[in-house]
Amino acid sequence: MENEKTETRIEKKEKFNFEKFHDKYYKLIFLIPIVLLLISFVYVIQVYSSTGDFIYRDVSLSGGTTITLKGDIDQAKLELGLKDKFPGTSFTKLTDLTTRRLIALIIESSATSEQLKPEIEKILGYTLNEDNSSIEFTGSSLSENFYKQLIIALIISFILMSIVIFLLFRTFIPSLAVIFAVFADIIMPLALIDYFGMRVSAAGIAAFLMLVGYSVDTDILLTTRVLKTSEGSLNHRIYRSFKTGILMTATALTAVLPAFFLITALPDSFRQIFLILGLGLLADILNTWVTNVGIIKWYCEKKGIK
Amino acid sequence: MKISFRVWVLIVALLLASLAVSPWKALEKGVLITSVEANSTAFEQGLKSGQIIIAIDGNPINNIDDFSKLIQGKFPSTEKIKTTIITKDNEFVLFSSNAPEITVSSIPKSKIKTGLDLSGGSKALIKAKDKQLTSAELSDLISITSNRLNTYGISDVKVVPVKDLSGNNYMSIEIAGATPKDLEDLISKQGKFEAKIGNETLFIGGERDITSVCRNDATCAGIKSCDETQDGAYCSFTFVIYLSEQAAQRHAEITADLLSNVTSGGKKYLSKPLDLYLDDILVDSLLISEDLKGRKTTEIQIQGSGTGADKQEAYKDATNSMHKLQIILITGSLPYKLEIVKLDTISPSLGKEFLRNIIILGLLVFAIISIVLFMKYRKIKITLSVIMTMFSEAFITLGIAAFINWNLDAPSIAGIIAGMGTGVNDQIVIIDESVSNTNLGIKERIKRAFFIILGAFFTIIAAMLPLFWAGAGMLKGFALTTIIGVSVGILITRPAFADIIKKIQG
Repeated sequence: MENEKTETRIEKKEKFNFEKFHDKYYKLIFLIPIVLLLISFVYVIQVYSSTGDFIYRDVSLSGGTTITLKGDIDQAKLELGLKDKFPGTSFTKLTDLTTRRLIALIIESSATSEQLKPEIEKILGYTLNEDNSSIEFTGSSLSENFYKQLIIALIISFILMSIVIFLLFRTFIPSLAVIFAVFADIIMPLALIDYFGMRVSAAGIAAFLMLVGYSVDTDILLTTRVLKTSEGSLNHRIYRSFKTGILMTATALTAVLPAFFLITALPDSFRQIFLILGLGLLADILNTWVTNVGIIKWYCEKKGIK
Repeated sequence: MKISFRVWVLIVALLLASLAVSPWKALEKGVLITSVEANSTAFEQGLKSGQIIIAIDGNPINNIDDFSKLIQGKFPSTEKIKTTIITKDNEFVLFSSNAPEITVSSIPKSKIKTGLDLSGGSKALIKAKDKQLTSAELSDLISITSNRLNTYGISDVKVVPVKDLSGNNYMSIEIAGATPKDLEDLISKQGKFEAKIGNETLFIGGERDITSVCRNDATCAGIKSCDETQDGAYCSFTFVIYLSEQAAQRHAEITADLLSNVTSGGKKYLSKPLDLYLDDILVDSLLISEDLKGRKTTEIQIQGSGTGADKQEAYKDATNSMHKLQIILITGSLPYKLEIVKLDTISPSLGKEFLRNIIILGLLVFAIISIVLFMKYRKIKITLSVIMTMFSEAFITLGIAAFINWNLDAPSIAGIIAGMGTGVNDQIVIIDESVSNTNLGIKERIKRAFFIILGAFFTIIAAMLPLFWAGAGMLKGFALTTIIGVSVGILITRPAFADIIKKIQG
């Protein structure tokens, strides 16, 4: 009995300590995501200045051909054979993680399918037909056009989201905090994807649009609980939102992550959507519970909201 | 337990979704006719694509194997033999020495349709080179292309206009399943149109032999007359085409040597008809009126007719025939070149593999979320109701997709699975609000939960909306399923779920 009591006391003390710690240092903690965001931002800008673009586009956005060869294909042989004629050709293996079976080999090149197909047929020694391969070709003028439109769509999507947030809360700083957090949710995964050198497809950009809507709900939860209710202290309300919100993000992540660790033999468009949503959700944990919390706590302190 | 109105709405929605998806179709036996060769015995007897064959000569046909075994055992035969084909609602008797000229496939397991990236097939996006097509030009191009694809016997083809955010007009062609090798040729080049009398070419499309075809001008094109006949009605149409000097000269020379025939109706025609060829395939034959013999004329009247059960039907039939003929005549004379800006040919077998994996993934996600929630709440009732709601949401979304005939491609399904994630999020908000220890009543707390849910709902709609237009709607499916999913959530499943939680929490 004695022991149990002391233990609970210690626990309470620790919690109390964290609260105090947070009260005292949250503005400092706030610097972590800001610094990360700045690094991400600078990195994306640097990619932009060296390549003229924010992302590395795949052939669906830059023009070219994707050939998916079904079955266990000798990648080295193809790589060797295509290296000279089609520089910059990339290869991706599609493996079923559970069976370790190579399901397909994806070849991406900026060449047209008429140029690429005969060469591959020559190396493999058989003709490509609809039983053994898929061929996707996108003309460069179209892909350029698509890319521009998708970027415009992303900007429109962001603006529409911002309007909804302002209409919802009708207060300037808290709304801005939400919008800022969503902005960070986009920039951070973008920098990571650039860092990995991943080529983004049209579906990938669509995923960024979805991220705008997908990552905002925890911010709305936080802002609503903090501003629209008065039960408990400010810290209590933030803590309660955190408990709910982190579970939300965790379940959303469980919906998104199996596509990477368990079932991997999926269409590329599909995987990219899930990867970007996954990275965005991870960034969202930081941006909601540090960035957004930081701003709103500071705002409440200034306004005397308790 | 009393079932509230909102829960009833959910139950009705689930029933309607089951109707739309029709999963029991998997139990249906038979084979589906996917195409019937034009002018074949099977065609004449009235077999049509879409019918389901359940028996042949008294033998039940349960699947493709049954069908091919039976047909291969019977044909080819040396003499004409009788074949009785029983479809779901009719019976057809054919006499032929050859196998019925039809292609069949297994019956789809449900009414859910998958996109080309999962079912296999070809998809092309075509635009005019260095020119912006007007809507009228685009609709001509689409008619011409559909016509040509039809003459190639390609069934299950969808040719539609597409507009993108910057106002570009495209023609989109989607062909399901296996596609001919020369598809690229077929769609990128203009159709070759030739009109011949016997073996001699009278005029060629695109060679400026036909200077114009009168189409939307009532003074030179239209339905001339409609009459009632013994077994229905009969309408005749007429329109004028204008030939170049050279073509008119050729016409005079070729027809000068022809003899005249008299038909049963007493009208006089030349002995040889004017044959119209599209890509070297005969598509129509027109009788040439005797008074045109040897005349050098730049203005030719084309006549034809349509029939139907009543005047209205006959009128419609005649109008359709006229349009079809006009389109054939302008084929090859498009004043612009075509450019394939996107061409995807997807292997059906690869798509099948992907689809299988996506379904497994969906089930897996479902299972993992259930486990996570059970670990968190430790209450079987709450977990079950969340799982049921999540399932209902995905299922109703599928039902709506099936109902509006939407082809679910990979991004669309990604939208549904991602939607399962947000759906659960909202339920977590409801549960957490309902258990919060506060002086507010449960009603008030649920109301606050809905403020958060509605906010999230409107932001996701706002975020996905631009995808409907960007990139010629290539990613429309993703936006569509996401928006349907969250809307189903907000309108149907979540209110019901909130009621169920109220019950559970007392």
